[in-house]
Amino acid sequence: MKFGPLLLLITVAVLIALPWLVSGSMLNAAVQMLISALFAMAFGLLCGQAGMLSFGHAAYFGVGAFAAVHAMNAFGGEGLLPTPLLPLVGGATGLISGLLAGYFSTKRTGVYFAMITLALAELMHALAPHLKTVFGGEAGVSSFRMPAWGIGFGTLNDVYFLTLVWTVLCIGLLYLFSKTPLGRLALGLRENAHRLRFLGYNTHALGTLIFAVSAMFAGIAGALQSMNIEAANYVVLESHISTAVVLNSFIGGVRVFLGPAIGGAVMTFFGHVSSDLTRVWLLYQGIIFVLVMMFLPRGLVGELVERIRNPSGDGIAHTLSTLLMRLASLAITAFGAVFLIEFLQRFLSPEYRAGVTDGNWPDISLFTYDWSPLSMSPWAFGLGLFGIGIALVTMVNRRVAARKEAQA
Amino acid sequence: MTFRNFARSTAAMMLVFSAASAGAEPLKIALVETLSGPQASTGLLYRDAVKYQIGKINESGGFGGEPIELLEFDNQGGPVGAADRVRAAISEGADVILQGSSSAVAGQVTEDVRKYNLRNAGNEVLYINLGGEAMELTGAKCHYYHFRTSPNAAIRVNTLLDGMKEAGVLGDNVYAMNQNYSWGVDVQDNTVGAAERLGFTVVEQTLHDVNKIQDFSPYVQRVQAAGADTVITGNWSNDLLLLMKASSGAGLDVRFGTAFLDQPGNIGNAGAVAEGHFLSAPFNAEVNPEETSAFMEDYKTVTGHYPSYVEPTTVFGLMLLGEALKIVEPTEDGLKAAELAVALENATAETPMGPISMRADDHQIIQPMIVQKVSTEAKYKADDTEFGFVPIKVISAVDAEQPVQDSCKMKRPS
Repeated sequence: MKFGPLLLLITVAVLIALPWLVSGSMLNAAVQMLISALFAMAFGLLCGQAGMLSFGHAAYFGVGAFAAVHAMNAFGGEGLLPTPLLPLVGGATGLISGLLAGYFSTKRTGVYFAMITLALAELMHALAPHLKTVFGGEAGVSSFRMPAWGIGFGTLNDVYFLTLVWTVLCIGLLYLFSKTPLGRLALGLRENAHRLRFLGYNTHALGTLIFAVSAMFAGIAGALQSMNIEAANYVVLESHISTAVVLNSFIGGVRVFLGPAIGGAVMTFFGHVSSDLTRVWLLYQGIIFVLVMMFLPRGLVGELVERIRNPSGDGIAHTLSTLLMRLASLAITAFGAVFLIEFLQRFLSPEYRAGVTDGNWPDISLFTYDWSPLSMSPWAFGLGLFGIGIALVTMVNRRVAARKEAQA
Repeated sequence: MTFRNFARSTAAMMLVFSAASAGAEPLKIALVETLSGPQASTGLLYRDAVKYQIGKINESGGFGGEPIELLEFDNQGGPVGAADRVRAAISEGADVILQGSSSAVAGQVTEDVRKYNLRNAGNEVLYINLGGEAMELTGAKCHYYHFRTSPNAAIRVNTLLDGMKEAGVLGDNVYAMNQNYSWGVDVQDNTVGAAERLGFTVVEQTLHDVNKIQDFSPYVQRVQAAGADTVITGNWSNDLLLLMKASSGAGLDVRFGTAFLDQPGNIGNAGAVAEGHFLSAPFNAEVNPEETSAFMEDYKTVTGHYPSYVEPTTVFGLMLLGEALKIVEPTEDGLKAAELAVALENATAETPMGPISMRADDHQIIQPMIVQKVSTEAKYKADDTEFGFVPIKVISAVDAEQPVQDSCKMKRPS
């Protein structure tokens, strides 16, 4: 892990240079990746470090979002709360609502805790459409980012830097928090809450505090989002936002520090790119989650960290070659699967069905070639690639297993 | 290989340049719609209709001698995705943005467009709202570059009540049953507001949870206890189906007046339960049979199905856009959105339902509405059932018009 700080510096440098490196659309994606990374980090503090699985984190995200929008409208980006400081409002309201909700929900642990957080979030979600003055009704509350401190905040670059500064700052604070006694106690809460109580700690107060801190950072992420889109709508309280943050964090690896952030960023990027390429991107997202949970239960980053910390003892060259072979065979499998899914999706789409006239099945264009659905070739191609890929993966796995056995 | 690519791209560039010098840059229209996820079914209907009508405009010459380019973006069902895709659409050079399937998304898009135009004066974009029916969009949130081509709660409810009154089925006692959010409240307010004019009593008003209730029988009992003849509801999807089913299950003899009974799947699901209930919508397949049948058949050959629900309204809205594009002259750097806005206010389109136009005061479309009834006698059946919609009364565009909301303070560019 000695490369850690260096790697971190390079990442931050790349992030700062990003506006000059990528197109507007990608920069836009980057803003959302940062926001969802911060949101996932807030969730990771609660779930990964303190072991409390919350199913209702959208509530605190939403509270922060609405608070920021109302503050933006009330202050007009001037006076006490200039535009760049607006996330503070989101953080403050997140903290307060987190204290209240945390007080109730941390009285229980495990499944019951999850149920209470879910219930509280649903309460907010059910309440929001009724309170038109606060939540703005169906069309939402909108506002306008006003210039402050000599910055216009009209362009995407300004928004990007604002989001970047806040996200990096918050993730830094979260890191420092994990080093404080309170942060260390969070780990104790996860590992053995009973023992912690026997040692004389007030675990309820501890849980409430950690819940509140997590909600505060979720609120900041919410505020950043409503500043980005200059509006807030009560759909932000919907349960799929809560689910998404759980999925993202687990895909990244909820128990390693930057795992949730990377999971959030990667999955947001995936959604951004794939939703314009294919109509079935949600299916791919689900498949990725299932596969990660089945084969990499520590998450992407968790697995990586584990591999670096405990090298297999085969030497770098060998590990690398196994890794490359694995990746290559997985790529073949994935391509076969994607080909089949995309072909089926086009084949079953109403658009295609409209073009079919008694027995005449037009060709389907996919990956720059035209395939006739009546011939064997597309099906054989997709299934064949998929089969070959799976066979290769099994072969690589067998070889690795045999080696391990020989070593043992 | 690389050389070939280079040669190809150079050739392509040459072509582009020569085309650019020959005519203006092609007009780009972006559809920012929900194309994936649970709400995609409506989004895909908008897409079909938009593709159909843009195709028609291109067949008759497009804009400035160039075919219009239609860009598609998936807003992923929510305002956040929509904000992102609107930016993407504008950065790819779209001058007009189309969207319809949700008022939440419409609220985001209209505000994004307004702010973009404030920050980029002289380089404006237009937003054509194909179906976000929330009153606010032409009320407190109205602005010069937003145009709504679908009806709103006031138009739906008032035409529905007028039509039912005239058909003699409205009765004296009306029950307003709606979902408890801005749309349901708008429908309820308009029902109550029309009571005096049409001489009926609103016996009770109920706002209930949205898409959460499984058993509507307690609500049906209240309808029964109130002695209602008619239930006016803005409910959609399950809230409408379950309400009608509970009412028929309790043997209640009331008529429903609805706004969204023609949503695909509703008639298929409700079956005989829906028979005799009313709907007010901007389209019916049996009005002006000659022109409408031609439209229906043509639509079917292109898309594979008859137009229903939001599709006809979308097509008509884009017909108006097509007429407006005929008035505007393309400039050197493409289309001036401000000129198109003026043209839209002045254009009239002849649809199979009658002439439609855009009201300049709040950019709400003024179009004929058809009050219709679910019946087995319909020529075009819905969802492969024996039921369809027969027109009861066609309300002309002038009669369907509702006053401009006071909350709309539209700033016109000077």
